[in-house]
Amino acid sequence: MTSTPISGPVAQKGKKLDTTKVRQAHVTGWILLGLAVLAAVVFGAGSEGTATFRLSRPNDPWALPDLLIPAAAFNYLVAAVLAFLGVRQFLRGGLRWTSLSLGLGMALAVAAFLVWATAGKGFSLTGMLQATVVAAVPITLGGLAGVLSERVGVVNIAIEGMLLAGAFTGALLGSLVGGIGGLVAAVVIGGMFGFILAALVVTYRVDQIIAGVVINLFVLGVTSYVSSQVYSEHRFLNNAPIFSPIRIPVLADLPVLGPMLFQQNLFVYGAIVMVAVATYYLFHTRMGLRARSVGEHPRAADTLGINVYRTRYINVTVAGMVAGFGGAWFTLGSVGRFDENMTNGLGYIGLAAMIFGRWHPVGALMAALIFGFANSLQQKLALLNTPIPSEFLAMAPYIATIVLVAGVVGRARAPAADGEAYVKE
Amino acid sequence: MFSFRKTLAPTFLAAALIAGSDASAFTACQVTDTGGIDDNSFNQTAWQGVLDAQESLGVEGRFLESQAETDYVANINSLVNGDCDIIITVGFLLGDATKEAAAANPDQAFSIVDYAYDPVIPNILGQVYATDEAAFLAGYVAAGVTKTGVLGTFGGINIPPVTIFMDGFYRGAMYYNAQNGTEVTVLGWNPETREGLFTNNFNSLDDGRAFAQNLYDEGADIVMPVAGPVGLGSASLANELGADKLMLVGVDADLYLTDPNNSHVYLTSVTKRMDATVSEVIARAMNGSFEGGVLVGTLDNGGVDLAPFHDMAERVPAELSTKLAAVRAGIIDGSINVGE
Repeated sequence: MTSTPISGPVAQKGKKLDTTKVRQAHVTGWILLGLAVLAAVVFGAGSEGTATFRLSRPNDPWALPDLLIPAAAFNYLVAAVLAFLGVRQFLRGGLRWTSLSLGLGMALAVAAFLVWATAGKGFSLTGMLQATVVAAVPITLGGLAGVLSERVGVVNIAIEGMLLAGAFTGALLGSLVGGIGGLVAAVVIGGMFGFILAALVVTYRVDQIIAGVVINLFVLGVTSYVSSQVYSEHRFLNNAPIFSPIRIPVLADLPVLGPMLFQQNLFVYGAIVMVAVATYYLFHTRMGLRARSVGEHPRAADTLGINVYRTRYINVTVAGMVAGFGGAWFTLGSVGRFDENMTNGLGYIGLAAMIFGRWHPVGALMAALIFGFANSLQQKLALLNTPIPSEFLAMAPYIATIVLVAGVVGRARAPAADGEAYVKE
Repeated sequence: MFSFRKTLAPTFLAAALIAGSDASAFTACQVTDTGGIDDNSFNQTAWQGVLDAQESLGVEGRFLESQAETDYVANINSLVNGDCDIIITVGFLLGDATKEAAAANPDQAFSIVDYAYDPVIPNILGQVYATDEAAFLAGYVAAGVTKTGVLGTFGGINIPPVTIFMDGFYRGAMYYNAQNGTEVTVLGWNPETREGLFTNNFNSLDDGRAFAQNLYDEGADIVMPVAGPVGLGSASLANELGADKLMLVGVDADLYLTDPNNSHVYLTSVTKRMDATVSEVIARAMNGSFEGGVLVGTLDNGGVDLAPFHDMAERVPAELSTKLAAVRAGIIDGSINVGE
C-alpha cells in the first residue's frame, strides 16, 4: 500500500493524491474488517469466563478492586467496533480518519487478544504497564541519540557502543564515587565517543557506517576484556548503587498511572524530559533549524554562513552524551553491575525506533513504548500458558513494531544528507 | 558410577605421578558460551574445573570466550590448530560445532559440558548433569518456605540443560504439595506443554530484573532464574525489595559465594559441579583413560547438589530440613522419581 510516485503536471497532482488516499482508506477498511472477523470468530467465540486484570499489586499500600472483564462479551463488542470502523472507511468522509482508525483498531485488536489470552485467569495490568515504561527507557534514549545525530546528517550506528560504554563507565565510577559521579562519567564517556565519531566522519570522512561499527567493536572488546580480567578479581569495582525510584507527591498515588509514570527512577524522568527538550530544540529554536538544515542540505546551509562542521561536531557529541546517559541506565538504573555485552543489541533497536519514529524525538519515544509494551506483554503471556509457543511470543515486540509502524506511521523520510560526508569547497 | 568426592583426589595424585615432568606440557583448552568467563555462574564454574586441574595436576589452561553464537566454530577451530591436549567446550549450544570439529579432527580429544551424543562419538566425552534431582530439592524447600504460596522461575533459552532445572523445581514443589496438602503454584514453566518464561538471551541483566519483577507482580516471593548472568539482574531487584519480599534460588554455582554483593537474597542454589566433571575429564585425558561417552553428575556422586542455606538457615524450619533430608535420601535410593 505504498503511494504511487507523484509525477506529471501540477494539475493532476491533487487528483492522484486523492485516489491514493481512497485506496489507502480501502486497504485500511479491509484490514479493520479482517480484525473484526478475527476478534469475533477466534477471540470472541474462543473465550470463556472472566479476564481479571489486577490494578494493584499484592504488596501495594493501597488496594484497588480488580478489573473484571467478561471475555466473550467484550470481544464481541470489540468486533462490532472494528467492523464499524472498517465500514466507515468505505463511506464518504471516512478518509480523514484513516490512520487514526487503523491505530485505534490495532489497539482494540490487541486488547481483544489480551482478554482472550487472560480469559479465566488474571495478571497484574499495572505491573505490565510499569514494565513497559521501564523497558522503553534505553530504547528511547538510544533512539533520541540517533535522532540528534542523523538530523545533522551523521548516521549513528555507534549508539550500541555508546550505550555499552555508558553502562561500563557508570558501573565503574558508580562503584568508586557513587551514583551521581558514575552518571556524570557515563555521560562524559558517551560524549567522548560521540566526539570521536564526529571526528572520524566529519574531519576524516571515514564511511559513517564503518566508523560506527568500529566504535561498537572497540567498546565491546575493551569492556569485555576489563570485565573478565579485572572485575572478576576486584568485585568492589563492579558494585554500583542503583538510583532508587523517586515518588512524585500526590501523582504517585494515582491508581495505575502512578506506578507507571510517577514512581520511577531518575532515568525514566530524564528520558521524558530529554525527549521534550530535544523536540523543542530541533523544531522551535534557531539552533535546531540550523542543525536540521545541515542534515538536509549542507551546501545550502554553508552558503548561508552556518558552520556545517561545527554543527555536526556539537550535535553528534550531544547525541553521544544522551546515549551515555542511556547506557548508565543499564547499570545505575537497573542492575547495579556491569556484565559483558549487557546492552545486547538494544542500541540497534533504538536506531530502529528512531526510523519508525520518523526521525522525531516523540516518534522515537512512541516506537520505544510500543516495543516496551510488546516486550512486557510477551512476558505476561508466557505466564498465562497460552497455546502460543514462547519463540513466537519472543518475536512479538519486533512484529508489533513493524506492523504498527508500517501500518500507522506510513512512509518515513530520512534527512536528505543523512550518511553523506560534507566537503567544504 | 564413580563418586567425585571420593575418587578425584587419588586420581589426581596418580595422574600427577604418571605424568611427572611432562605435566606442564599438558594443555587443557576451553571455549566458553556467550556470557563470559566471569559470569559468576555457568562459564565460570566450568573454568574453575580447569583452574583446579592447573593447581592439582599442573596442567596449563587456556580459554577463548564466545561473544556470539557465530564465534563457536571459529573459536574451536583456532584451538584445534593450536596444541591443546583436550578441548573442552562449555554449553549445549556448542554441541553441533563440537561435533563437526571432532569429526574433522579424529585424533583430538574433546569434551563438552551439557551435551551427550547419541550415538557416542569416540573422541568426545559428554558431561551431563541430573540437575533435576537437585532442583527438585530446591522446589521442595522453596514450597515449604514461601509465604505467598507462589513460586516463579524463568529460563534463558528453551533448551534441555535449562528446562531440566525448571522441571525439577516444578516437580519438587508439586511433591511438597502432595506430601503436605498445600497448594503452592509455580509460575513460568509448564512441564506438560514445555512452554514457559524465557529471556531468549544470556546477556541482558536488565531482562533478569524485569522478569523477576514480572513474577513478583504475580505474587511470587521465591524465584529461580535459570539464565546464567541474567539472574544477577534478578538479584539486584531482590536486594532492593529485601529478602522478606523476594528471595532467589541460584543455579549452577553456589551464588551465595560467587555473588557476594547480593549474597543475602539467595535462599539456596542448585549447584551443578561442572568444575568437578571438568577436572575429572582433564584427569582422565592425562592418565590415558579418556574415551568417548557420557559422564553423568548426580545427587549421589556429588555432580549436582543443593547448596547450604547459609544466612537463610533460620527461614528453613527444622521440620522442613528433616523432610528435605528424607526426600534427598529418597531420590538417591530411587524411591522418589524426579522425572514425573
